[in-house]
Amino acid sequence: MLSMKNINKVFKTDLVETHALRDFNLEVKEGEFVAVTGPSGSGKTTFLNIAGLLEGFTNGDYFLDGVNISNLSDNKSAAIRNEKIGFIFQGFNLIPDLNLAENVEVPLRYRGFSRSERDKRVKQALEQVGLGARMKHLPAQLSGGQQQRVAIARALAGEPRFLLADEPTGNLDSMMARQVMELLEDINKAGTTIIMVTHDPELARRAQRNIQIVDGQVCDFTMYQGGQPQLVSDNVQAVS
Amino acid sequence: MLQIKPILSMLLRSKSSPLLLLLQIILSVAIVANASFIIHERLALMDRDSGVVEQEVFDFTMYSFDPSVDLVQQQHKDLQLIRDLPGVKSATFSSMTPLSGGGWSSSFTIGTSEEDERSAPNSAMYYGDEQMVDTLGVKLIEGRNLRPEEILPTFTDSGVKGIVSKAFADQAFPDESAVGKVIYNGNLGEEAIEIIGVVERLQGAWVNSDNLEYSVIIGVELTNAFMRYLVRAEEGTFTRLKEQIPEVLHKDQKNRVIQNFTTLTEHRTSVYRDHELMASVLSLMVVLLLLITSLGLTGMVMFNIERRTKQIGTRRALGATKRDVVSLFLVENYIICLVGGVVGGLLAIALGQQLMQHYDLPQLEWQYPLATIVGLVIVTTLAVVFPATKAAKISPAIATRSV
Ligand SMILES: Nc1ncnc2c1ncn2[C@@H]1O[C@H](COP(=O)(O)OP(=O)(O)OP(=O)(O)O)[C@@H](O)[C@H]1O
Ligand SMILES: [Mg+2]
Repeated sequence: MLSMKNINKVFKTDLVETHALRDFNLEVKEGEFVAVTGPSGSGKTTFLNIAGLLEGFTNGDYFLDGVNISNLSDNKSAAIRNEKIGFIFQGFNLIPDLNLAENVEVPLRYRGFSRSERDKRVKQALEQVGLGARMKHLPAQLSGGQQQRVAIARALAGEPRFLLADEPTGNLDSMMARQVMELLEDINKAGTTIIMVTHDPELARRAQRNIQIVDGQVCDFTMYQGGQPQLVSDNVQAVS
Repeated sequence: MLQIKPILSMLLRSKSSPLLLLLQIILSVAIVANASFIIHERLALMDRDSGVVEQEVFDFTMYSFDPSVDLVQQQHKDLQLIRDLPGVKSATFSSMTPLSGGGWSSSFTIGTSEEDERSAPNSAMYYGDEQMVDTLGVKLIEGRNLRPEEILPTFTDSGVKGIVSKAFADQAFPDESAVGKVIYNGNLGEEAIEIIGVVERLQGAWVNSDNLEYSVIIGVELTNAFMRYLVRAEEGTFTRLKEQIPEVLHKDQKNRVIQNFTTLTEHRTSVYRDHELMASVLSLMVVLLLLITSLGLTGMVMFNIERRTKQIGTRRALGATKRDVVSLFLVENYIICLVGGVVGGLLAIALGQQLMQHYDLPQLEWQYPLATIVGLVIVTTLAVVFPATKAAKISPAIATRSV
């Protein structure tokens, strides 16, 4: 499903060169729920951005769903993001001047869906996150947890194969974080592959698979076995 | 794809900035539409043909202060001397100069008896000799020119012959030929002028008058101490002739002041100076207003891009192409411009109505607000596309990098 081989990412700013990812290797299978942890500045967001086609990489091979991602045109990348990938951000990134329904509708419009199709999917997605009754509310009228659920609805509405989340619970208190996590687990059970960056070891432990990025490399990872997550809490704690 | 509905709701929910711009656009459209209409009107006025070969004609004045001179004889000699100069095509004394802003005019009486007596329109009166038609270069379209022997020494009650402009002929004698008709410079029966010819076009001296096109050439000699002469000469000879004419005339009789050599082109420039000034000032205003509006648009787009950097990155992350981002800003501003344009267009018409009532302007034509809106759409596109293209370059990675 996702396959990265020897990915390097170098940021060049005036004088400094930052190697955000070094010979980064990772395979993610369809249907997995991967939690990514690691120290600050280790390259987690960089990995997620490259995985989600939000930025390019310096060299290496990346295949997503069989498609070679190097040298894709800007329009093609936009289309893949739109169709195959759903994003969830730490800061929710809802558009403040649009109501909930309009927010969820944004990627569907770029997809070119008909009006009735959009309406159906918006309603369905908002109901799935438990906000079906508040379609006309503005984001500012909701709590952080509710806003993140709207963002999840926006990511789900296009029925992506892939859900990428960068610290989706980073701005939420633990109760709301748990709700969001439960929602993500439901989505994963329904078949969507999820990669989630988190600083919260408790949440990371709930994922099927944990990987740790240290200094731009996959340092350690734990594969689940027989559907039962095998927790390696020492590793996770060592990070935080 | 166009996204009018969500952009509209975004606009409606955002606070003051689009409102101020909207107000600016409304006023700009109202003013620009009326200003360009007035400019067009003025230019059309200035563009009217006087009927005269202006590039070849000039005039000058002569003041004879020696009472012992026989003015009649002297004038005949003077005209002969002028006509003999190289480059001169023809010359005549004249009571006035076209487009000069000053001259003689009269309302003529028409009719055969008191029952059918009426007034002809107020017209310019060109006293001149048989060379007047050639000197002005006006085109005779009916009848004939004056003959030398028909130029009478004074205005008598009969025998005076004249030539009228077609505009005059059509107005005074709508259904019949003017040739052979008689007009009276005064009451019925007094100072009769028999029309012997019609010229296609000859304007008077007052360009703001409604009667500019009505002119009558009268075959009567003028021999005053103060005289005006019209000369038609080959192009390029004016600078030489304005030295030569006083020279030869003074050699013959030196007791007079000969001055004010002015080409008809110069007369035209000065008589239309106000119009010209008005047109330039208004044009400047139109350009400035369009500039200010486009700067306002560019400013607002740049402000919005600044404010919405994260939103643009998020939209890109969610699948917006660069074109989608550009069209987001274009559509947003087209909506503002369209609303501003329509309201401004209506305001323009209302403003035009006021101007029409108070300043004697014709009614604003609907094409002008429409053209202004079209111009506004072009200005908007230019003003928005540049910053919006920069906005499209915002990396989708902004979505995860900024909090
Ligand atoms: N646009 C950029 N230009 C230059 N350097 C960058 C850029 N983005 C990230 N970096 C650098 O790349 C490295 C990895 O950054 P990244 O954001 O991926 O870390 P992270 O693991 O997500 O950290 P955190 O947990 O704080 O979010 C850091 O050293 C960072 O300074
Ligand atoms: Mg990060």
